[in-house]
Amino acid sequence: MPKVHVVTDTGSDLPAEIRSKYNIHLVPLSIQFGEEIYLDTLELGAEQFYQRLAESSVLPSTCQPSPADFVKCYEQISEPGDEIISVHLSSRLSGTYQSAVLASTLVEKRSIHIIDTKSASIGIGLVAVAIAEAVQNGASAAEALAVGERVIEDLQVYFVVDTLEYLRRNGRIGAASAMVGSLLNIKPVLTLANGIVTPFDKVRGKARAIKRIYDLFADYVRTHPGRKIRVGLVHSNCLDETLELADKLKAEFPIEDLMIGLIGPTIGVHVGPGTIALLWYPI
Amino acid sequence: MRNAGEQEDTKVDVINGVEFKRIITAAAQVLAESKDQINALNVFPVPDGDTGTNMALTLQAALRELDNLETDSISKVAQAIARGSLMGARGNSGVILSQYFRGFSDGLGKLKSANGRQLAKAFDQASKRTYKAVMKPVEGTMLTVGRAIAEACTAACEAEELSVADIWKIAVEAGSKALDNTPNILPILKQAGVVDAGGKGLLVALEGAYKALVGEIEIADKPLVMQEQTQEAITRIEGVLVNKYCTEFLIKGEQLDVDQIRSDLAPKGESLLVVGDQKVVKIHIHTDHPGQVLEYCTGIGNLTDIKIDNMQYQNERITEPGTPGKNGLEAPSNPIVSRNSSKEKKPIGVVAVVPGDGLAEIFTSLGVDIALYGGQTMNPSTEELVRAVEEVNADSVIILPNNKNVIFSAEQVKELVEKRVEVIATATVPQGIAAMIGFGDHLDLEANLQSMQEQLAHVRSGEITFAVRSTKAGELSIEEQDYIGLADGKIVAAGQSLTDVGVSLLDNLVDDSSSLISIYFGGDLEPETAELFKQEVANRYGHCEVELYYGGQPLYFYIISVE
Repeated sequence: MPKVHVVTDTGSDLPAEIRSKYNIHLVPLSIQFGEEIYLDTLELGAEQFYQRLAESSVLPSTCQPSPADFVKCYEQISEPGDEIISVHLSSRLSGTYQSAVLASTLVEKRSIHIIDTKSASIGIGLVAVAIAEAVQNGASAAEALAVGERVIEDLQVYFVVDTLEYLRRNGRIGAASAMVGSLLNIKPVLTLANGIVTPFDKVRGKARAIKRIYDLFADYVRTHPGRKIRVGLVHSNCLDETLELADKLKAEFPIEDLMIGLIGPTIGVHVGPGTIALLWYPI
Repeated sequence: MRNAGEQEDTKVDVINGVEFKRIITAAAQVLAESKDQINALNVFPVPDGDTGTNMALTLQAALRELDNLETDSISKVAQAIARGSLMGARGNSGVILSQYFRGFSDGLGKLKSANGRQLAKAFDQASKRTYKAVMKPVEGTMLTVGRAIAEACTAACEAEELSVADIWKIAVEAGSKALDNTPNILPILKQAGVVDAGGKGLLVALEGAYKALVGEIEIADKPLVMQEQTQEAITRIEGVLVNKYCTEFLIKGEQLDVDQIRSDLAPKGESLLVVGDQKVVKIHIHTDHPGQVLEYCTGIGNLTDIKIDNMQYQNERITEPGTPGKNGLEAPSNPIVSRNSSKEKKPIGVVAVVPGDGLAEIFTSLGVDIALYGGQTMNPSTEELVRAVEEVNADSVIILPNNKNVIFSAEQVKELVEKRVEVIATATVPQGIAAMIGFGDHLDLEANLQSMQEQLAHVRSGEITFAVRSTKAGELSIEEQDYIGLADGKIVAAGQSLTDVGVSLLDNLVDDSSSLISIYFGGDLEPETAELFKQEVANRYGHCEVELYYGGQPLYFYIISVE
């Protein structure tokens, strides 16, 4: 059977050890602070990024990998005859998917499948892990792709940001632009629908916003009895609240696996510090 | 027994429009003079006993409709009074009074003058109208007094022909008896030791009319005119006032088409109000070209009562004290209206009634289009609400009354404007804020109404003010000037320490599932005092977040929400 390789981008927020474990390859987006450009993960880590963000007067932006970057990666990681499954950021949030698709037409002698997860952050990570895990367990590319498709369909996502400013200024705010800021410390609870940021609810106070997300998870578990859940929980500078939420979830619900991670620079540019995101799907 | 055709003797007299106007003017005067007394009848010893003020202002507004009405027809005068009180209605009692007048006017049909029997019919229709107007009629209120009057007059007429004076006397006597009986019908009246305020207001008005009818009182040359807090919404673009001429006038003509006039004038300015009928239409508009507006209207009819004010200078003009306040305290003298100016039309807009400037800012930041002042000391009139709704550039408008005494007035607006208007029956400011949290620009009207309504169940409201008289509330003994705490409208704490009453109130509102306490402090408090109270609360309820905001409301030291 031909070898199957799994690739993703730095929007996936997968902890390094998970990538190692499942042998998932990474193609980085670039983070631009004014004139300075860094490759996410390879040249700029998450902690450094938030430090830089706090100190910088300039708002950073992200830049998708070029098709050439993908071509290089695909050719480097594989042999002719191999298959590649490339798992990426929602095509409506980033041009990364398009770049990968273009690259796949330029690479010879490999069968390349590009997946639009319609998601972001650890959502991409969960899809990539499910696919890589299937491959490690002997699945063919077609079988692994089917696994991936199912995860994408069932994936749930809710996140709370401290401020909508990062989303707004980077142009990814979508319909959430109508969620006005206010004097009352209101936190927006957001989701992704059809691959774009979508308003879900407004809650007063961060703690209560997190509780709202917890409640949504609880409702889901209740309405899907007998299922085990795989969870990805990521944050930017909210370690305490994140750990507290993780403990609660693990204690109270049938969680098969809970991945905790830091929101990396690629996503961090768009949501800013103070974000917590909970993503999950039923096994 | 009289044969048909026999000369009617002088016992059966009639009352015409001129006479009716005279006695209703007297009624308004007496009602204005008695407003404090009526305000004091509020079951709750809280400093917003509005009933007297509201009814007096409603009747005063009604009379303004008569200013230039030249007629001796009683039915025309009655119609004008009904029309004027409809728009000028403030508070629940004002709205019911306006319905009473409407029924009265319906009962008079097209009569030029009315005899005793015809008057009895008018009293009867007046009473029936009030029952129709109220969703859940409560006995022991103005409704009961009105009904007793109707029944007594109707019964009396069956027995014999009575004069106008006789019928009116019967009305006043029956009303008085029914009023005195209201504590026997409504237990809360008995406990508070008062008769129903709305019923009292109606009786006082009818009594005043009677005394004028029989010559017992004189109408003062300069009748007492109450200060009203006028709402003039103003738009500034980059600091410059636009549509700065507040232009008001009457058009008198034949077959005037109110809707046509409204749509023709709409592009000429903002805050447009067109009200009236085929013969008389009242226009109010803010425009930069008053000449054009007037010119257009001269083609429709004759203009009278033309008033043009330059609003640039008007704010400085309103330096007189605002509403008559309780215990020497007065509402802020500048009407507070804040708005989100948006020149683009949107599907749904929101108008919120707010009692303070800080709260106006908060509601505006939550996305409300117009924050209209009107709370504890002065409820907005139906007309003011109509103006605000007309002004919002949206297809549908949601109103948040934020005060239980404004809900009824807000409901009236639906019939008076073309736009789709819905009211979320918020009885307190915290409920209004919760409703706005539930509001989403991305939702359609039905989804919004549902979402906003749902939020109300999750918030508890607290208020702290002071007692205007000594009384008992359940087990609590309250002394005048005591601080009192109300939980969702019910008095649960009283005492001489503001902090203690506050804590006692919160003990009533906070439970294990609470997570957020928001405190909005009033304009009568120093920020430092409020800050100390917040600390006290945060210490006491460790499991809750506590947030403090400036509300600016008069008379209510703290408005508190617990979620």
